[in-house]
Amino acid sequence: MFLHNLKYEFLQNIRQKELIGWMMLFPIVLATLFYVAFGNIYEKEKVFSEIDIAVVEVTKDDIFNTVLDELSTGDEPLFNVKYTDRENAEKLLRDGDVLSIIYVDKEMTMSAASKGLAPSIVRSFLEQYTNQKTIITETAKTNPDKLEAVIKSLSNEIDCMNTKQLSNGNMDPYITYFYNLIAMVALFGSTNGVFSATRNQGNLSAIGARKCVSPTHKLKTTIASLLAAAAAQIVCVFISITYIVFILRIDMGDKIAMIYLSGVTGTFAGTSLGFFIGSIGRISESTKYGIAFPVTMISCFLSGLMIADMKSIISQHCPVVNKLNPAALISDLFYCLSIYDDYSRYIGVTATLLIMTVLFTAGGFLLTRRKKYASI
Amino acid sequence: MSETVVKIENLVKRYKELIALDHFNLEIKEGEVFGLLGPNGSGKTTAINCLLSLLEFDKGNIEIFGEKMTPENYKVKREIGIIMQNVAVFDELTVYENIDYFCGLYISDKETRKKYVDEAIAFAGLESFTKFYPKKLSGGLLRRLNIACGIAHKPKLIILDEPTVAVDPQSRNRILEGIQSLNKNGATIIYTSHYMEEVEQICTRIAIIDKGKNVAIGTKDELKKMIRNTETITIEALRVEESVKKQINSLEHVYETVHSDGKLVIRCSGGKHNLIKILGILSENDTPFGRVYSEQPTLNDVFLEITGKALRDGSDENNKEEN
Repeated sequence: MFLHNLKYEFLQNIRQKELIGWMMLFPIVLATLFYVAFGNIYEKEKVFSEIDIAVVEVTKDDIFNTVLDELSTGDEPLFNVKYTDRENAEKLLRDGDVLSIIYVDKEMTMSAASKGLAPSIVRSFLEQYTNQKTIITETAKTNPDKLEAVIKSLSNEIDCMNTKQLSNGNMDPYITYFYNLIAMVALFGSTNGVFSATRNQGNLSAIGARKCVSPTHKLKTTIASLLAAAAAQIVCVFISITYIVFILRIDMGDKIAMIYLSGVTGTFAGTSLGFFIGSIGRISESTKYGIAFPVTMISCFLSGLMIADMKSIISQHCPVVNKLNPAALISDLFYCLSIYDDYSRYIGVTATLLIMTVLFTAGGFLLTRRKKYASI
Repeated sequence: MSETVVKIENLVKRYKELIALDHFNLEIKEGEVFGLLGPNGSGKTTAINCLLSLLEFDKGNIEIFGEKMTPENYKVKREIGIIMQNVAVFDELTVYENIDYFCGLYISDKETRKKYVDEAIAFAGLESFTKFYPKKLSGGLLRRLNIACGIAHKPKLIILDEPTVAVDPQSRNRILEGIQSLNKNGATIIYTSHYMEEVEQICTRIAIIDKGKNVAIGTKDELKKMIRNTETITIEALRVEESVKKQINSLEHVYETVHSDGKLVIRCSGGKHNLIKILGILSENDTPFGRVYSEQPTLNDVFLEITGKALRDGSDENNKEEN
């Protein structure tokens, strides 16, 4: 009987026109718009991903020049080097034409206009070079024929180190829009949750009344309804993820199965939130939808769906919001998968979402169970 | 002697200050088609919802099939079919799926359920519409689907709460015939309506409810005998002298004479040949008159006399819209 309920509840959910429109097509349209809007920026960043630096040669260092040449040529150069004098280099730095200046002297030094990833790469390159310079000098003296190979090896090492630092996850700020978009689809499950709650309450719908007078236990019909609502929403979330990852080819990392699993976790949280809202008080079904939708959208706004920096602004001023905002937590799941190699933070965020799911569901059941129908 | 199917004793239901059911009593026997008649807001639906444990009540006792009715009494619930005032079907499921879904809440065996669903479809005359979604159905067909969903599991007690609202005459007749056929097949029916013609047509016993109270109960003939009026004579007459009215009013069995809007309405209590006597007075006084009607009392007259107001007070507008 449970499977019978589940089957028909799922069909009801999946056949809702609003579901097809809002949950399936809208995210695809929005993802496409994001892609089109940020597409040019992606291209630009790709082309100019090499770091513009100025090199001021106070003293001549041929080995350094050779290493630098290695790193500024090829298909994916790390540096775009301009050899110049101190005065011009400082002008270039002020004008923003270069991000760092390297002063080649007995001791390598550098200056940069601001902090950030590019100056830190230049700094680590200089440290690496200083550490390895002795080996190169020794090789030049003892095995000059192997000098080229050693320089190449050092260049590769620096390149690999920096490349790894750059590409250990997609760190561009625009990816958060896609994370939040998926979080939004998952949280749209709240409307399905409201649908489940109201269709099982005798005072809110005639269908609820008909279910309540049947000999099937209310818990059974409600659980079937809730699971079906979540399942229908999971279909929508999977469609969105598939579109973003495989059609738009947005880099969300290589843990694809985990990305889908995160979508499931998020959907459970969203559906249970809606179920809780749907079970509150003696308010009408439309009012409950009127609560669930803005809650979802505000949650997504605070998580950065409309303004990418919103999450970090909240993190600075009121970090607890990010720890309780389901949309922020869902987008955090994708961020964790993309950025971190270990799962400790991911597990923490998942646990928070699952606790929320349990609390919302249990709260919804308690509210429904205690319901005294005032009027029908 | 037939068994008691429903027994309601001293039921009290309050909505804050408003008393919806005021020490309401009812006993329905097996095999009856029992009518609950009353205007909108009289307490019919509240009584039904209390009966089904959809509403908690403040005081009283409800027994169905000899067992106390509670939300957890699944044994009793299994024997009840409900057809709500508002259509309770899923817009997202087809006709067949809707009936199968609701039948599945009662019948777990697949084969039995399929048989029952097919029978319910045939009963409601929905064979040509099994793959239709409810939004594609006319008002009458939708009501028939609503009924099929409520009776597919073959309940012993069927509660129909105003099932013919917004239904065309053809579908209405079909629904009423269907209810009678369900009764013939052994089901006890509780039928609420403010359409007194329907109640008169199908109900074996009727309770008149007003302000949450059961003001009269009996067969339609028993109810009609409870009131003074036995005959209402209406005569189209543009002008009637006051002296003529007095003469008519002085007749032995006439207790009320009213002339308005070109109609002379005379209410009689008992007696024979009242019409002949009245027409004689009009002729003697050279009072011209047109068409003449003589009507037996209706349930509306019963209601009017018992409660002091017309049965359709406050519901006339609804009826016009619905029809």
